[in-house]
Amino acid sequence: MNVETIFFYLLGAVFVGSALMMVTRRNPVIAALYLILNFFCLAGIYLTLHAQFIAVIQILVYAGAIMVLFVFVIMLLNLSDERRLSEAISFKKIVAGGLSVALLLELLYIFVYRKTDLPTLNAERSIEIGTVESIGRHLFTKFLFPFEVTSILLLAAIVGAVVLAKRRLD
Amino acid sequence: MATEIVLISLLKILVVVLTILTCVVFLVYIERRVSAFVQNRVGPNRTGPYGLLQTVADVVKLLMKEDIVPRNAYKAIHDLAPIISIGVALSTFAVIPIGDTIELFGRQIKLIIADVNVGILYILAITSLGVYGITLAGWSSNNKYSLLGGLRSSAQLISYELSMGLSIVGVLMVSGTLQLDKIVQHQTTYLFGWLPAWNMFLQPIGFITFVTAAFAETNRLPFDLPEAEPELVGGYHTEYTGLKFGLFFLAEYANMITASAVITTLFLGGWHLPYVEYVGLSSFILSLVYVGTFCVKVAAVMMFFIIIRWTLPRFRYDQLMNLGWKLMLPITIINVLLTGIVLLILH
Amino acid sequence: MIEQILHSLSLFLPETTLTVFFCAAIIVGLVAGRTSRASLYVALIGIALATWFAIQQAGSSEGIFTGMVVVDPFATFFKLLIGMSAIVILLFSLYSAEVQSTAHRHIEYGSLLLAMTLGMFLMAGSTNLLMMVLAIELTSLSSYVLAGYTREATDSSEASLKYIIYGAVSTGLMLYGVSILFGLTGATDFYNINRALATGSVNATALLVATIMIVAGFGYKISAVPFHFWTPDVYEGAPVTITAFLSVASKAAGFALMMRFFKTCFIDANALGLPAGMWASLQGFEWNKLLAILSVLTMTLGNLVAVWQNNLKRLLAYSSIAHAGYMLMGVVVLSDKGLAAVLIYFIVYLFMNLGAFYVVMLVANKTGSEDIDTYKGLGYRSPLISVAMVVFFISLAGIPPTAGFIGKLFLFAALLDAKWIWLAVVGALNSVISLYYYVRVVRNMFLRDPERNAEPVVFSAPQVVIVLALLIPTILFGLFYSPIVELANASVVMFGMK
Repeated sequence: MNVETIFFYLLGAVFVGSALMMVTRRNPVIAALYLILNFFCLAGIYLTLHAQFIAVIQILVYAGAIMVLFVFVIMLLNLSDERRLSEAISFKKIVAGGLSVALLLELLYIFVYRKTDLPTLNAERSIEIGTVESIGRHLFTKFLFPFEVTSILLLAAIVGAVVLAKRRLD
Repeated sequence: MATEIVLISLLKILVVVLTILTCVVFLVYIERRVSAFVQNRVGPNRTGPYGLLQTVADVVKLLMKEDIVPRNAYKAIHDLAPIISIGVALSTFAVIPIGDTIELFGRQIKLIIADVNVGILYILAITSLGVYGITLAGWSSNNKYSLLGGLRSSAQLISYELSMGLSIVGVLMVSGTLQLDKIVQHQTTYLFGWLPAWNMFLQPIGFITFVTAAFAETNRLPFDLPEAEPELVGGYHTEYTGLKFGLFFLAEYANMITASAVITTLFLGGWHLPYVEYVGLSSFILSLVYVGTFCVKVAAVMMFFIIIRWTLPRFRYDQLMNLGWKLMLPITIINVLLTGIVLLILH
Repeated sequence: MIEQILHSLSLFLPETTLTVFFCAAIIVGLVAGRTSRASLYVALIGIALATWFAIQQAGSSEGIFTGMVVVDPFATFFKLLIGMSAIVILLFSLYSAEVQSTAHRHIEYGSLLLAMTLGMFLMAGSTNLLMMVLAIELTSLSSYVLAGYTREATDSSEASLKYIIYGAVSTGLMLYGVSILFGLTGATDFYNINRALATGSVNATALLVATIMIVAGFGYKISAVPFHFWTPDVYEGAPVTITAFLSVASKAAGFALMMRFFKTCFIDANALGLPAGMWASLQGFEWNKLLAILSVLTMTLGNLVAVWQNNLKRLLAYSSIAHAGYMLMGVVVLSDKGLAAVLIYFIVYLFMNLGAFYVVMLVANKTGSEDIDTYKGLGYRSPLISVAMVVFFISLAGIPPTAGFIGKLFLFAALLDAKWIWLAVVGALNSVISLYYYVRVVRNMFLRDPERNAEPVVFSAPQVVIVLALLIPTILFGLFYSPIVELANASVVMFGMK
């Protein structure tokens, strides 16, 4: 077992743990903080895969920008702890729980008994792929088109945000 | 070999962290002396020679104070917030080259803790996390002034992060790399054979906007709204005492040092002293000269920070937001565009 | 590389036009002032031009932008369909009380409609998982906002919020499925996925899980059961114009993408001994059975619930769910004939469904209500509009001599051809159920007396012209259906497929 594998399992454990904590916390700010921890673990896992660029972007965009806004809004709304409503075990809940468990089992089955020959990469090639240069090159050649479409998507999102958020109803 | 690398890295970390912490002590002293000078006062001059030990005395006082946590505060977060602040402030230094390589004990050692190939992005990522310390401090104190301070700071940091990131883009385009030591290397050349190719000259707009954004990011006047004393008592750290307050204080000054170091590295040629390579010093001496140059440059930028703080009034909140979104952001975008056009013409 | 991109751009004129006009709509709106209608006209011109350019592309068949999207007859057909419905919707909007009452947001309305149309154009041509997700997102984002466009009305905000929540969940599921599929095959390109799957080395269970998750995304777009929960609330709360647009164009784009995805990824390209125009699903992975179940659920639930609805918009919402179920039958049969039947159905559906929504909008403009009681005796107050409504409704029910009958006829013919008898029987039974609720509205209009002192309802000339423009094709295509059948048959050709 090499260092990377150890790190992978370590980060993975924290990753799953923080995700569980995130959905079970009642205080929205605490839940958000666990989500941030979760993002950090994900960034760490990217690093073990030699994807430095994605790792840093993960922190910069998700932990540093999106979650800051999340926390900001939660604080601005001054949300208190979520109140527990009377929750009877209904038919819907049983079905939902059953489906989730089924999905989990299916996914586990896939990963345990896969006969799929997953495309593999050797270490040197994966180091090459993770660099900014290689991502940049791909982004502006093969994936130029989706890249440009993303900008239109963002423009549409901005216009939408203006519609939904503008205070003056004039 | 592996253990050696780890040891060397640890040593570097130790040296850098200790240096920063020591610097903070003197920085606080200098700040107080400069403010006194600006306001035509004397300033601290009783403790030790010229009052040099004043800060040390203050630190001792902070250490001995009782740690008070308000009853309704969220204790865990209340404790965590200053740690985040100081952690973020110190870890940015990991990618800043404080000199060229130096030869010690027969080994070439790079004077940079972690030479990652996404250095600039790392700085941006870490800086963007700094806001958590302040916001969480404000929220967990369960005090409306603290919360307002925290909210103000999130809004401010989010607004200025964008301009900060965009003003670096120009530098990236000019030097063509995200690695900080390569960016410094790129600045060791000369324009027209005599002008040092510092990014300050290549990217004047980027330089100005970056420095402005850096002021905002470090919560220094004229952008210190998160802790505007007249309005918010003390801002996000109103409910902090003793060591934890000290940590925030430390983080604030450490942030300033880091910001100065980043400005030096990105725009002022980093550790490079122009023309010194023509003098013909031995490589060891040259390395030392470079480290010295870096320190002098950083000190100069810090001096600038301090003088600005005591000579400019504070912005109003809406002015701050207007400046960030309606002026800084367009200017930085135009700068990127201009840089692109110029580069296209030159190549 | 540059030449390739330039060449791709030349084949990308409709989408480029939409992008340019998207920006233009914002700028023109700013210059012309907030309450001006200029942005709506800009959007109208932009979409009309884009549709015209799309028609010009008829016959070309090529992958562009390194195979991210294709221009082929199939995509062109759907672009035409989407473009036409967008034009009709913009014409509606000019006469919609809801849209005109929020005149200060015309800029956003026009530009978002353009963005949504662009998203749907891209959906029609995507042949890459990445593009697929991006196109769906572009469409969805714009439609979330447009659904909540009349922000002052609570139900509109509610509609928007519900739409976003369901949309986010199903898109999330879809992305998960997409990532599993990518992990299994190592390709994002539809054709490469097919090639990887054809080697038979992919775990069938894994593929099934991925497919179900991806179907969640498609199912949400076409409002198939059990991903339909948003439909009634969003249709009821959103402005009628947007509801109509969602029910036709968004559904068409979802179907286009789904059909292309299944036909390019999941069929056995090397299957032998098939009759012409038939395809085979991948060995060991009969996804069409999955779609058959979805189809039965969708149409049965849609029709059964529609029976109980008293709000016309909700009724039409459930009816549109049911229609999605009918159309899914055409995908199940795995033949060009079935595909062509879906395309025919869509042409017909465009006219009859838009027509029905338009009448609902006109009546709501005058009376302020979409309740079924409002329609009591409408036949005497406004004969022309009522007759039009009757035609649209019997067409939706699929009764000759209207176009709706032709749509159903070809669908059932394709089913019987491929020996899917039981599915055809379920479909026929469902049509019978649907007849009940359509006729209920018709009965209210003609066999019930109007309220006392009810005034005749009068509509302006342009409004009547729009009704007629939708009414005439609904009848005409029921009698002379060969043009649409020919168009559909010519349009089932997908790039890179036999």
